[in-house]
Amino acid sequence: MPKGMFVDATICIGCKACQVACKQWNVLPGEPADFRTDPAEKIPVAVNFTGDSYDNTADLTATNWRRVRFIEQFPENRAGGRWLISSDSCKHCNDAGCLNACPTGAIVRTDLGNVVVRQDVCIGCKYCLPSCPFGVVAFSHQEGTARKCTLCDERIHNGLGTACAKACPTGSIAYGEVAELKKKADARLARLKSLGHGKANIYGYKEAGGLNVFYLFDDAPSVYGQPEKPEVPQGRLVVSSAVTVAGAVAVGVAALVAFRERGQPGSEEEGVGK
Amino acid sequence: MSPVTHAPGWEWFYIGLYFFFGGVSAGAYFIGSLAEYFGGGRHRGVSRTAFFIAFPTLLVTPPLLIGDLGRPLRFWHLLFDARSGFPYVNLSSPMSVGSWALVLYGAMAFLSFMDNFVAEGKLDFAPFAGVYSRIPRKVYAAVGSVAGFFVAGYTGVLLNVTARPLWAHTDPLVGALFVASAGSTGAAAIYLAMKWRRIHPGPELEAFERFDRIVKILEIALAIAIVIAAGKYAAALYRGLYAVMFWVGAILLGTLVPLVSNWYGHRPGLHVRSEPAADMMAFLVLLGGLLLRISLVQAGQL
Repeated sequence: MPKGMFVDATICIGCKACQVACKQWNVLPGEPADFRTDPAEKIPVAVNFTGDSYDNTADLTATNWRRVRFIEQFPENRAGGRWLISSDSCKHCNDAGCLNACPTGAIVRTDLGNVVVRQDVCIGCKYCLPSCPFGVVAFSHQEGTARKCTLCDERIHNGLGTACAKACPTGSIAYGEVAELKKKADARLARLKSLGHGKANIYGYKEAGGLNVFYLFDDAPSVYGQPEKPEVPQGRLVVSSAVTVAGAVAVGVAALVAFRERGQPGSEEEGVGK
Repeated sequence: MSPVTHAPGWEWFYIGLYFFFGGVSAGAYFIGSLAEYFGGGRHRGVSRTAFFIAFPTLLVTPPLLIGDLGRPLRFWHLLFDARSGFPYVNLSSPMSVGSWALVLYGAMAFLSFMDNFVAEGKLDFAPFAGVYSRIPRKVYAAVGSVAGFFVAGYTGVLLNVTARPLWAHTDPLVGALFVASAGSTGAAAIYLAMKWRRIHPGPELEAFERFDRIVKILEIALAIAIVIAAGKYAAALYRGLYAVMFWVGAILLGTLVPLVSNWYGHRPGLHVRSEPAADMMAFLVLLGGLLLRISLVQAGQL
C-alpha cells in the first residue's frame, strides 16, 4: 500500500521544524551561497538567499528538500493582509515525470510508492530537472547527481514516519497510508467548507496521476506557488515523435526530389519548391 | 517567486554543440545515402564525401555529451543497467532511446566511413577488404539513415517533452525543425567538404540548391510556427543575446539570406552564381544551424 503525506496548509504555522528535521535526518549541508554582483549594489550578493521574506529557501534545491513557503499578502500600508503558509516538497507522483525521463534507471519507485533517486546510479544528466512539472528535482554540483526528497526511504521501510511529519508540531504534515490520509483530508475539507472557507481545495487527487504527497489549500493552488494544471510531459511523447517522423519524411522526400536522376536536363529552372 | 520548473543547466558548449554536430553528421549521412541509392552513380562524389564527414563529425559528440554529466565516469549507465550490467533502455525517455540510436548510427557511420577507404582503394588490407565487400553498403546506408534521422530529431523531442514553458509550448515542432535543419546543415557541410577535397560540385550544385530551397522553406515555416506556439513564453527569443542568435543568426543569416541567394541564382538570365558566394552561403547555413540549437536550448533555460 502506498505511503504518503497529507499537508494541511491551513494549520501550518511556519515554524520550519520540518525543514530542520529534513536537513538533520538526510544530512543535508547548508545551501551554498550563489554570489553575484548586483549592478545596483556594486557588491557581491548571495542571490539565492531571500532576505525579503520569511521564506528562507526560495526554492527546492539539492540541499533544501523541504521548503516552507510563505505567501505574504500585505498591502503597502500594512492595513489588513494575510499569511498563507505551506510546507512543500516532492509530491511522489504516481505518474512521475522525473522517473519517466530518467535514462539510466537511477530514479525508481519503491514498494511503498515513493520515488527515489539512487545516488550510486545517477549520472547527473539533469534531464529529470525540466521533466518535473513541480520543479522539485535539483542538481547538486557537490555530488554531481540529481537530488530530492526520498519520503525518508530508509525510515519508512523501517516502520517510522517521515522526519518532517515527526517534527511537525501542529499536525500540518501527516504521514501514513495514502487511502487513510485521503479520508482525513476529505473530512477536514468538509469541516473548512462548513466554516466558510469557500476556496478551500485539495491539491493532488488527480494531478500527475495522483500525488502521494497531497495538500489542503485555503486558496487556489497557484496562490501557493503550485501549477494549476501540472502536466506529465511524457504524455506528449507519442505525438511529438510522430510529428518529428513526419518532418523526417518531408526532408527525405525533398532530398529524393532534389537528387533523383532526371531525364530532361534543363528543367531545373522549374524545380520543385517554387 | 521562484520559477515553477527547474532548468537543467545544460551548457551551450556541451549540449548546444552536440545538437549541432549530431545534426550535421546525421543530415550529411542521410543525403549521402540517398545520393548513393537514387543517384545512379551520378552523385558518387556526394555520397563519398558525405560518408567521409559523417563519422568524424559524430566522433566529436561523445566527449560533449559526457562532459556535461555530473558524474562523467558513469556515462555507461546510459546503455547498461548499473547493477546487472544488462543493456538498459527506458522507452519513455528520449535521452535513453537516443543514446541507443546514437550507438547504432555511430556503428553505421563507421562502416560507411571505412567502406569509403576500401572503395577508393586506400585500404586494401586483404582480409578486411574482403569482408567489407561482402556486406552490401546499401544495407548499412539504409539502417544508418533511419538511425541518423533519429539522432537529428530526438534532440528536439527531448526538449519538447519537458515541463519547461518554452520547450513544452513549442511541442511538437522542435523535433521536425531540428530534422530540417540537420538536412540543410548536412548539405552545406557536404558542399564545403567537396570543395575541400577538390571535387568540383558543378552538376551536384543544382541538386543541393533544389534540396536546400525545399528544406529552408520548411525550416522557416516551422520556426514561425514555433514562435507563434510559444506565445508569451518566447520572450527570451525577443530580447538579449538569444534574440540576436535566433532572429539574426538562425533565421536571417542561416535561412533567409541563403534562400534568397539560392532563388535569385536561379532566375533565368541572371547566371551570377559565383563560387565564393555559394561557399559563403554554405558557411552561413552551418552558422545558422549552430545558433538555432544554442538559442533554443539556452532560451528554454532562462
